[in-house]
Amino acid sequence: MSNINESFPLADVAVEEPRDKNRLALRRLLYGRILRSLSVGFWVSVIAFLMIRLSPGDPVQIALGAEATEASVKQMRHELGLDTSIFQQFYNFITGIFQGDLGKSFYSGRTVTDIVGTHLPVTLMVIALSILLGVIMAIPIALAVALSKNQLVTYFFRASTSISLALPGFFLALVGLLYFGIKLNWAPSAGYEGAFPGNLRYLWLPALVNCGSLVPVLSRVLHSSLMDTLDEEFVETGVIRGVSKIRFYWSYLLRPSLAPTVVLLSYMVGVLIGGTVIMETIFSLPGIGRELITAVNTKDYPVVQGVVLIFGIIVVFFSFIGDLLGYLLDRRVTLS
Amino acid sequence: MTKLKKNGEPRRQVREGTFGLYTGFAMFGALVLAGLIVPVISKYDPNQPGLPPMAPPSRDYLFGTDVLGRDVFTRVFDAVFIDLGTALIGVSIPLIVGTIIGTLLGISRNKKINAVVGSLIDGINAFPFLIFVIALIAFIGPGITSIIFALSLVNWARYARIARTRAVVVNHQGYVEAARTLGYSKARILFKHIIPNVSSETRAYALSDFIIVIIAVAALSFLGLGAPPPQAEWGAMIRDGNQIFQIAWWPTIFPGLALCWAGITVAFIAEGLQRRLRETNSK
Repeated sequence: MSNINESFPLADVAVEEPRDKNRLALRRLLYGRILRSLSVGFWVSVIAFLMIRLSPGDPVQIALGAEATEASVKQMRHELGLDTSIFQQFYNFITGIFQGDLGKSFYSGRTVTDIVGTHLPVTLMVIALSILLGVIMAIPIALAVALSKNQLVTYFFRASTSISLALPGFFLALVGLLYFGIKLNWAPSAGYEGAFPGNLRYLWLPALVNCGSLVPVLSRVLHSSLMDTLDEEFVETGVIRGVSKIRFYWSYLLRPSLAPTVVLLSYMVGVLIGGTVIMETIFSLPGIGRELITAVNTKDYPVVQGVVLIFGIIVVFFSFIGDLLGYLLDRRVTLS
Repeated sequence: MTKLKKNGEPRRQVREGTFGLYTGFAMFGALVLAGLIVPVISKYDPNQPGLPPMAPPSRDYLFGTDVLGRDVFTRVFDAVFIDLGTALIGVSIPLIVGTIIGTLLGISRNKKINAVVGSLIDGINAFPFLIFVIALIAFIGPGITSIIFALSLVNWARYARIARTRAVVVNHQGYVEAARTLGYSKARILFKHIIPNVSSETRAYALSDFIIVIIAVAALSFLGLGAPPPQAEWGAMIRDGNQIFQIAWWPTIFPGLALCWAGITVAFIAEGLQRRLRETNSK
């Protein structure tokens, strides 16, 4: 980057330099990240493609049942394109992805794209609500602990976050369901209603259980970057200048500390997806996770493959967005 | 800042993290010990039904009995070795494989292999851990061996990523260069000098991974992908107990508490070791 500026030793260019430098860095970063996301996305689809080959039996035989005739097996193999070479199959798989064709369920005959389209919004809603609740809880906790001068508070914070991380979410969910759902009747124990404000009644408890693993991680990272920020001189300047409380908390403390938390949050999406799949089975939410578990139990291979692929792509997408956001929030962040 | 006793002698310093470490080890030891002893001395067979079903906790049945009439107390402790053992193997295999592959990548000069395997590692890590394991089990079939196989197939990549980053640093340290100058064989440098220093990092990660894997093993059994019945296993017991949770809480709560206990003790140990490591590093 510096070469470009050296080759234009003009005064007016030098004035523009910091801006140009930023833009160049951003563009380089953007291309680099896109390239990396694409290569990871490629491997994600290779893995999803190869996964089905791990099964000990013949998937077609399993789909058709034991009493399938030779001819019908052959017929289905031809329909699925399984009678071609592996490279041809992979080519078909990849082109299928770009055309939105992820195959068909062995049993219901619905296309995988259709299944994902119907059920994914519920899963995404749970994840979004978990993130919202998690951020609302993590920011005040981290701020309070970072600003407290009492060593015991920090100690208690560390202990309770590591205990919270060690608790099994599915067990907490069951206990929560019994207590809030049946004893207090605050949350319906089953069923679901699609429209937005009404479905929050069904979603708040699963999201809260997800927060059991999200809040400790978020608040710990935010706490440690807040501690670093508090050592900076500009915080002292803010105190001396007597800026308003809200401005002090936001501009002087939180904004300079948020970047690592945002990057982490994007990585936590993967963990949240895992937790949400279990929550959906427990709370009988019609999300993609429950579809996945049903497909696993019935050996509905195309559905499993499609759902795994979609989740892989979602994670790749979010880590891309997270890295960019992290950079925009704090230009000092160097990306690996 | 050394604190002094009244007679002026320095007070014996308690090392950072000692409390957590000892509590963790004691609690973990107690669980393992109970897992060894209880199934042997118990009057009841863990998997043999026949006792009065759904009897509440009493002096005869400390944790009550489940819906089929099996003693929950015996079953909870009979499951210790299945749960912790599966998790231990499920952490050890990826730890060893991932550390070796990651180290070899970190010290290799072959750019092509590095790029290809590197992006394969990123690809595996891109999948949500639990989803990937569930999907693999869908294809290879349920069971404890499948869980271990799936965990190994997924998790080595996380260790390899850590090991690779670390190996690049270690490879250029003075002591490795010195060993090279002394003309030691490549294998000796790798196993005596590089791997021990790389694995200190991956082993630290393995401990926090152990907590995740203990919970994951139970969660997979809870979803019906783990040990087949009648094998006592915490996740499966919670799943069975959940069907009668509203009438009888004990077949669900006690295995759940055992699982929490296991997770928390490992968390204590991990936290203690981490503090100790930080203290040593800052000296």
